[in-house]
Parts: sequence; structure tokens; C-alpha cells
Amino acid sequence: MPPGTAPIGGRAGATVAMGVLLAALVVFPVLRLGAVVWTEGADVAGILGSPGVLTAVRNTVVLAAAVTVAALPIGVGTALVLRRPDLPGRAFWQIAVLLPVLVPDFVLGYSWTQAYARAGFTDAVLGLHWAGLLGPAGVWLVLVVNAAPLVYLVVAVGLAARAEPDLERAARASGAGSATALLTVTLRLALPAVAAAGVLVFVLTLGTFAIPQVLGAPAGFDTVTTRIYADLSLGGDPALFLEAVTLALLLVLVAAACVAPADALLGPRLRSTRPADAQGTAAAPGRRDVRRAQALGLAGYLALTLALPLAALLLSSVTRALGVPPTPGNWGLDHFRSVLTPRTGEALGRSVGLAVVTATLLVVLGGLVAVLERRRGGRTTATLVTLTLVLPGTTLAVALLIAYGRWLSGTLILILLAYLAKLWAFAHRSIAGALDRLPPDELRAARAGGAGPITAVRTVALRPLAPALLGAWLVCFLTALHEVTMSSLLYGAGSETLAVVVLNSQELGRIGPTAALSVVLFLLVAVPALILWWVIGRLAPRRAAGLPGGATRAA
Amino acid sequence: MPPDPALEVVDLEVAYDGTPALRGVSLTVAPGEVLALLGPSGSGKSTLLHAVAGFLVPSAGSVRLGGTEVTGGRRIVPPERRDVGVVFQNYALWPHLSALDTVAYPARRRGAGRTQARSEARAILERLRIASLADRRPAELSGGEQQRVGLARALARRPSLYLFDEPTAHLDTHVRGVFLDELWARRRDSGAAAVYATHDAEEALGLADRVALLSEGRLLQVGTPQQVYAEPVDLFAARLTGPASVIDAPDGGGPVLVRPGWACLGGPLEAEVRAVWFRGPHSDYLAETPLGQLLVREPGPPRHPVGARVGWTLLQSWPLGASST
Repeated sequence: MPPGTAPIGGRAGATVAMGVLLAALVVFPVLRLGAVVWTEGADVAGILGSPGVLTAVRNTVVLAAAVTVAALPIGVGTALVLRRPDLPGRAFWQIAVLLPVLVPDFVLGYSWTQAYARAGFTDAVLGLHWAGLLGPAGVWLVLVVNAAPLVYLVVAVGLAARAEPDLERAARASGAGSATALLTVTLRLALPAVAAAGVLVFVLTLGTFAIPQVLGAPAGFDTVTTRIYADLSLGGDPALFLEAVTLALLLVLVAAACVAPADALLGPRLRSTRPADAQGTAAAPGRRDVRRAQALGLAGYLALTLALPLAALLLSSVTRALGVPPTPGNWGLDHFRSVLTPRTGEALGRSVGLAVVTATLLVVLGGLVAVLERRRGGRTTATLVTLTLVLPGTTLAVALLIAYGRWLSGTLILILLAYLAKLWAFAHRSIAGALDRLPPDELRAARAGGAGPITAVRTVALRPLAPALLGAWLVCFLTALHEVTMSSLLYGAGSETLAVVVLNSQELGRIGPTAALSVVLFLLVAVPALILWWVIGRLAPRRAAGLPGGATRAA
Repeated sequence: MPPDPALEVVDLEVAYDGTPALRGVSLTVAPGEVLALLGPSGSGKSTLLHAVAGFLVPSAGSVRLGGTEVTGGRRIVPPERRDVGVVFQNYALWPHLSALDTVAYPARRRGAGRTQARSEARAILERLRIASLADRRPAELSGGEQQRVGLARALARRPSLYLFDEPTAHLDTHVRGVFLDELWARRRDSGAAAVYATHDAEEALGLADRVALLSEGRLLQVGTPQQVYAEPVDLFAARLTGPASVIDAPDGGGPVLVRPGWACLGGPLEAEVRAVWFRGPHSDYLAETPLGQLLVREPGPPRHPVGARVGWTLLQSWPLGASST
């Protein structure tokens, strides 16, 4: 048998298998969505023209735009500040600014109500509360806090990969002051990443559910996703079902209309063969008082947006009754006792089980697509997988319900399928990124050194890929663990996840128990995240000691 | 009163996270003088240039440019207010700007209007014979072309001191020759001083008025190219500037350094040829002598096979101090 015959045959089979799986998970359900709107003769104009729907659509688009406009400067500013190696406590801030990502959307939204709403923490302590928190302004602000770390991540990677410190040094040595160098070189180079972050935030906000549901719905502020949730939770009414399906379809069309041109325009500009250097660099030394002020600004921002709300949430969960002052004398674990019932335990078990299965399957699936896309046949699958990133969860859930609900409605399997479809791109992107950064000569050297293809991967590639594989698993596991957008639409009797239990508890208006459940959900996410984060950090390749940041090339 | 030196560095110390990169370096560059910084990678050449350009804060010491202190005590003048032009090893061309706009950048920062800056830039590109590249971006330029644009950008700054950070390190041999010729010609008509970091001894010796040898953040020796080549302070310094053999002095006076051209074949001393390398214009012989192994350079193709017994003559040698082994 000529060498290579079997792998190529196997690869073709795997490519076909991935294509079929993707078609079954995403393409077919979304097409079914369109087919239902078409065949059921939905009065699309009528549905979209009805005042409630029109308002929800307008709210959604305006909200997404407003969140994008506010999150971009915060995220870009954070990325620029954290790039300076001389920022006091930089390593701490790099982790701290990402913490909002670790807080489930629902918990973040709910914690803000416990901190700043009427009868919240600031009201109890200072007599101050923000009446607008429940409503569009509150939804907007909390979504901005939630989206800013994403902008930071995308822009920081873009800066690290494109804005080499020597480019800024060249500007400074050519007579540009720090502000001019920032404007004419640094930001100019980061522009594709900033634009990509903007598109991403806009599209993800279109599909966001938990925060509008917690902060907007009680005040009558509807978005497309909360409207779909309301339509489906009433159940039984065919007109409402058709409205939900039409809105789900609209959501994916708007997302696609934003993403397709952005991908065509920005995609080539974002590709970089240079490994991103997370160490951060400075073109020239900065002023210490400026750095100190920046660190203080970060501290204040995180204290108000994250630390205080989470502390207030914790206080609500241990304060015995509503209305009593949150002093230690009134503390107790009653709420935890009342919510940690066998039913909650089962939901928790289901959430963890689902998350483990989802993450493990997705690392395999994501890895396969990442490997297969290096051949021509696998590229279409990879592109489609990447596109699912912006497929709103609500749309996906409704689509899967229509496609497979007849057999799987209310089962954990349907939720699992939704997770696989929604999170595949997360696993694929991080593994593909690590594969791209793997120097091809290292594998060639292993082959030239006598290793077969599998031995070469095992002995040379696996170790540098380990952090990415573990990272992909972690991202999928955590996201699945607190996912509520899809599970709240797909669950049935006996298949509630913990996030669904928390959401239902909030809708019943049980403040203390909801706070206790939120704390449990947060810890469930945060504890494994921090442990695995630490492990990944230990696995990541070490750099040469003593040559940090800007010094790496200055030797 | 003699003019102020273009650059004066006194007791400069730089450390990265406690690891010293420069340890008490002091040197002076006269106006119009070219000083080559010669050292292996990691010796501190780029760190020294970065400290002079203002890209980093030294932990101690001072830097004066044209008599004005720019680094010292608590005073740090930012890079844009220092009278220096920098040419980078990796070219450092901005991917979003054309060659013309790159070269116009320094004039724009001086306050020139776009048209004025571009016309200045075009004149510089013409002088460097790369005006045809004006509209290209870095991705559309070869390494050699990129580095000439980098040189043009530094020229556009019109500084009194140029800092070259291994500008030819990424260039092929023939492109490197073109770049160095251009540099030589510009140096003649600009009259500015320059510090030229390199790890290539031939480049340093051929280009500079004086050569500073750097190793592990310390200055080993500063002198004219002839001095550092013929009178190295120790064996390490000798090896930085070119091939050298160490043999016992024929008169028994301890170890001496012998450059390949300082001995010739034919003569009263005995040797056996151990290896021969044809180098084009000349041939190198490794000869085993009773005094030690010796590298001898002779013009033309090899005349003696390996194993041949030959005579030789020592023309010149340099005694090595007790510290050199």
C-alpha cells in the first residue's frame, strides 16, 4: 500500500462525517425554521408589524447598537492600559478584568438588582437606589459590563499580534508623542480587531437573553429573545408559536446580514502568522502617576460593576429575610437550606453531566474540524462551524425544537444537541488557533527524525497543544454549565438544568432563595474555572527567564 | 572649545527583572563619527541602543545627546524629543502606510503639511533610488527594499545621531551589500554620527571609525578597527573580530595570538597540514605545529594536500595577557 493512502481515505470519511453532523445539528434545523414559516403561511408582515413585536425588534437593535458603542471604548481602553508592563499589579488586573466572563449572565444581572435596585444593598446602607436599573438603561449598562471583557480579549489579541512594539518605537523615534503614536500607529493597527469586536458584540447582544429577561422583562422592556421566551412559555397557542418561529428566523437573518460582510472585509486583515504575545510591551517608558491612576480607574470600575454586586448577592443569600438590615446578626444559611433540595441536586447533577459530556465531545469534534480544515475539503465545514458562533441561541433552540421536537422534546438529549451546535465553534476556534501557531517545522523535524504521523503528533504536538485543548474544554464546560438561553426553551419535566431552576425561582420573585441559587451557580462556574485556569497556566510554554515584555527583542 | 560629543553614555546600567543586561557601560561618539557596537546576540547591543533612543529606562547612569542630558537621575526625555533616527533590525515599517507616507511621517510630526512632507519624502526616496516603491506597502516590498525604506524614514528625521540596530541581520548577502553601499554614501553626505550595532565583524571593521566590543552587557574594548583587530584585550575580544589561533611564542614568551594572515607557508618552522578550505580568493590551512594549531591564510587555490609536511614563518603576533585563556 503506498504511504498515505489510508490516512487520506480516513480523512475524507471524517470530513463527510463532520459535514453530516453539522448539517444535522445546524443547517437542517435552521432550514426547517424557514420551511415552517413558509408552509404554515405565517403572515410575516403582520407579525413583524404588530406593535409588540415591532417594539421588541426596535429595542433589540437599538440595545445592540448602544451596547456596542459603549463596550468598545471600555474594552479598547482596558486592552491599551493592560498592555503596559509597568502597570502596577498588571498580572492581577489581567485576570480581574476577565472575571465578568466567569459570572453567568443571569447571576450578573441579578446581582446588580441586589446591589443597586430598590431595597438593594446601596438602598439599605446609603438610602440610594437606581430606579432605572429595571428597564432599558439597566439592561444596557449590565450588558456593557458583560461585553467589555470580550472586546478587551479580541483587541488585546489583535494588538499583540499586529502592533509590534518596534512599530510604535519607530513612530516615537520619528517624532510622534505617545498620543500621536497611539492614534497613528497603535489604534490604526488594532482597527480590524476593534471592528471585529464591534460586530461580535452587536451580534451577541442581538441574541442575548438572560440579562434582558432579569432586568428588562419585569419593567415591560421586551427584546426579541425575551419575546420568543414569553411566546413559547405560554405554550399551546399556534399563533404565538408561529410568532416565535418568525422572530427566531429574523434574528438569524439580521445576525447573518451583519456577520457576512464583516467576515469578508475583516477576515483577511485579522489573520496573522505571528504568535500573539500576551506579555505586553511598551514602546517607551511611561509616567508612573499615569499608570497608578489607570490602575485605580480599573479598580474602581471593577469594584462598582462586579465586586459590589457580587458582594450584595452574597449578602442577600445569607440575610434571613427581606427588609431586615444585612448585618451579621441577621445572617444565616436558611436560604441555602431551602433551595438545596433533592430537586435542585438533580438539576445540578444534570447541569454538570451535560457540561462534561458537551465539553468532552466538543474537544474531539472541534479538534477534528481544526485538523480537517488543513485540507481543502474540510474548509467549508470549518467556515460553517465558525458561523454558528453568531447563531443566536434562541434561534438554535427553536430550530432544534421544530426539527427534532417530535421525538426529543423535553429531553436532555435535545439540550445536549443544542449545546453541541452552539459551542462547537468555541472549541474549534481555540484548537485551530493553537494548531496555526504550531511551527510546521517541528512536526517535519519529528517525521525526519523517524517518527510516524501519529507518533509525531503525540510526541511533539500534543504537549504544546495541551493548554489549548484544556482551554477549549474549559470554555465549553463553563458555558454549558450556566447556559440558560437554550435550556430555558428546551427543558421539560425532569430535564431542568440548574440555570433553569435559578431562572424559574427568580420569576417566582423569591429573592433570598434566588440569591442563594445564584451564589451556588456562580461558585459552580468560578471554582473549576479558577482551578483549570491555573492548570492551563502551568502547562503553557515558559518563556526565557529574565527577558520580559519589551526586552525580548532588545538583547 | 571642542564641540560636544554627539553621544555620551556614562556608567549605564539596565536590568530586566533583576537580570542585568548592561553593566556600567561608558562610551563617547564624536560628531560625525561612526561607532560600531560589535557583540554576539544577547550581549546588550540593542539594549544600549534602546536606552539611547529613550525606549527604556536604565536603572543607573546617564545619556547625553549633543551635550544635553536626556537620561539621568529622574530626567527621562521621551524618544520623540531626542535628536536621533533609528533603523530597526525587523524594519518596523507600518503595515498600513505606503513607503511614501512612511518616509513623510517624521516631517508630518515636525508640523509639515501633507504635500510638503510628501515632497520631502519623495526627494529622499529618489536619493536612495527607490522612488518607484513610493506607493507600495511593506507587504509588497522585499526585505532589502523594506530596509531601504526604513533608512529613508530615519534620514527624513534629519537627526544628529543615527542608531542602527543590526539593520542587515535579516538581509541576504547581496542585498546586504547594496544596503551597506547606500548607508556609506548617505553617511558621507549627512555628516551625522552613528552607532551601528552588529554581530558581523567584517561589517563592523569595514564601516566604523571606531569599534566597541560588547559581551554580557560589559564593554570589553573600544578602539579603531585596526586596534581591536590587531591588539585585542583578550582572546574573547580577538574571536569577536575574526578568526585567530593561539600558539606558544617561538621565543618561549607565553601564548600569543596569530591572525590567519600573520603567518605564511614556507620557512624555517615545521608543520603538518590537517585541513584545507578553499575560500575563493584565498585558501585557509589548519596546520599542526609543535607550538600549537595554527590557521594560515594563503592567496589562491590550495597548494598543499591534507597530510603534507610544510614549512612556515611567523610574520606577526600579539601577546595575550594573563587573563586570556
